[in-house]
Amino acid sequence: MIRYRPLIRPSATFSRGRRLSNSAPSPWGEGAAKRRVRGCVITLILLISTSFHAQTQIHPEINRQQAAAIVRIAVPRPETTLPLEAIESPFFAPLTRDLAASGVFAIAPIPPNIPASADLAKAANAEFVLALKITQDGADTILEARLIDTTGSTQFGRRYRGVPAVLTRMAHMLSNDLVRAVNGKPGIFLSQIGFASNRSGHWEIWLMDWDGTNQRQITNHNALAILPSWSPDNDRMAYTLFTGGRSEMYIINRRGGGRIHVQTGVGLNTSATFSPISNDIAFVGSVAGNPDIYIIRDDSTNLRRLTSSYSIESTPEWSPNGRQITFTSGRSGTPQIYVMDAEGTNVQRLSFEGEWNDDATWSPDGEQIAYTSRVSGRFQIRVANVITRQSRIIAGEGSNEQPTWSPDGRWIAFQSNRSGRWQIYRMRIDGTDLTQLTFDGENKEPDWSKKTE
Amino acid sequence: MINSMNKVVKGFLIGLLLTAMAIIPACKSKKPPQPKVVPTETTATAPNVPTMTTTTETRVTNPPDFVQTQTTPQITTETLPSDIEELNRVAEQRGYLQDAFYSFDESTLTTDAQAALTASANWLRKNPQYNLLIEGHCDERGTEQYNLALADRRANSAKDYMTALGVDANHIRTVSYGEERPFDPGHDEAAWAKNRRAHLVIVGK
Repeated sequence: MIRYRPLIRPSATFSRGRRLSNSAPSPWGEGAAKRRVRGCVITLILLISTSFHAQTQIHPEINRQQAAAIVRIAVPRPETTLPLEAIESPFFAPLTRDLAASGVFAIAPIPPNIPASADLAKAANAEFVLALKITQDGADTILEARLIDTTGSTQFGRRYRGVPAVLTRMAHMLSNDLVRAVNGKPGIFLSQIGFASNRSGHWEIWLMDWDGTNQRQITNHNALAILPSWSPDNDRMAYTLFTGGRSEMYIINRRGGGRIHVQTGVGLNTSATFSPISNDIAFVGSVAGNPDIYIIRDDSTNLRRLTSSYSIESTPEWSPNGRQITFTSGRSGTPQIYVMDAEGTNVQRLSFEGEWNDDATWSPDGEQIAYTSRVSGRFQIRVANVITRQSRIIAGEGSNEQPTWSPDGRWIAFQSNRSGRWQIYRMRIDGTDLTQLTFDGENKEPDWSKKTE
Repeated sequence: MINSMNKVVKGFLIGLLLTAMAIIPACKSKKPPQPKVVPTETTATAPNVPTMTTTTETRVTNPPDFVQTQTTPQITTETLPSDIEELNRVAEQRGYLQDAFYSFDESTLTTDAQAALTASANWLRKNPQYNLLIEGHCDERGTEQYNLALADRRANSAKDYMTALGVDANHIRTVSYGEERPFDPGHDEAAWAKNRRAHLVIVGK
């Protein structure tokens, strides 16, 4: 109830309303409906803001502590006219999975035979009950979601409409909206993980949802396609294709336009990674057996070489603000992590522990890097603070490589051979909640999308 | 006896080459890539939304997924014609082409590697009509991305050595497979030693 009031700040709610009506190119947007509901949003905002304002001022300290607390939420099965099995696995399972993993909500066990109401919230010792109603309107399925507190007030209400095939997406959107309503930050439940898999008989590029579901193949070369890397807008993916005895950089675009071959004019063309702020792509190029970090524009122009050491350089990764690039270099005698400005200047070594370090990748806030670090002959995921350079190992069985951060910085996905074959796993950044995401064939090189969509 | 054997082999190889030249162009033409069927999205008209005071509505559709269209460039497959394969098999069997092997995390040539490449260079100098692809490979113990760069250097160290011995550099290409295509799938030193190599392959073009 009121205890979580400061988290549903009027300003945060208002900015969500604005974002909705401004997001013109949104592929699932529907301008008319948005305009119609905008009035309702503002009414809701006013209600919340007037009733919450006083309390925020009276107990600011308690409220700050509670901001980090976990909100207990009761989530009864939806009231619906549809068969339950049409709801359970496409909607209810992903919804509860999302909320349980959100770090914001804890799902309270619910006693039987109480309708979704304030009474249920009280009986379940929860702060909120999530009342869900799913109905069919012609070809459309309609989801109505209300977050009801123990006084019976609706603290969040939204209706989602779409064909039945988007039920899972609705679950993820609702989870995102609930997380945002409670802590003001976006959820990651619509983010995706790109990876390479050989389950079709060849290494191809695949995608999956954040929870490991909906795994699908997005290239079909029947050759060797590896090292997928998302563009910052989630629309494109760069990767390396081996064909005809060459390795080349390719980009595919989910909005069509076919596959683009980025013609670099140099060899290798591995580890391509999009700049977060421009049309540049950093990658490993090689001339006469000297692998270096290069940058090229996505239209195959303006090739620039950033490193010029005789040693091996590889694995570039942009900082989230686009001003720096980490990379791996063998210049000290073993592969170690370095950072340089995006112009190739001001090179500094970042890793000093570990016999072999590679695969550096920045946390979304730019404060930490995760990388693969060999300790006592075994590869482990290491997380280091970029400024203090202090680092810690997130220990796991087998060999653990190629970390990638979730867009909210709470999770790391990586590949491990602990089962005897390479598979992709996900864990919280403290190493807890470890989950295996892939099972078919071998799977590696996860790259988590940079934004949540 | 040995001379006549050589003649037989030479004749055999020339025959193979002629067959290859006849077959390769025929093998090159490929089916155009089939465009993938793109599922169309249902666009519904503005729904008749009942008035609610505290509920906003969001239209949900799945975003477009990655699709491949017919503008896709033609991709040649890596499968070489069988006569070239036969040529490579014979060249390897008779020691005309010998792979070079490396130490862990090294791209410098050992004495054994130099001897192997010298033998290969001698044969290629006598057979300048062939084009050579040198594949760089690593064992599985390093990290994948760094190993792609390391194997690139291995392939080029072999190329540099052979061109220094007089093989035409225009007839040698390199490619790095890193640890992607091990020769031996095992996980012990015997397997790793086989996988750290520059592999020499005759290619048709």
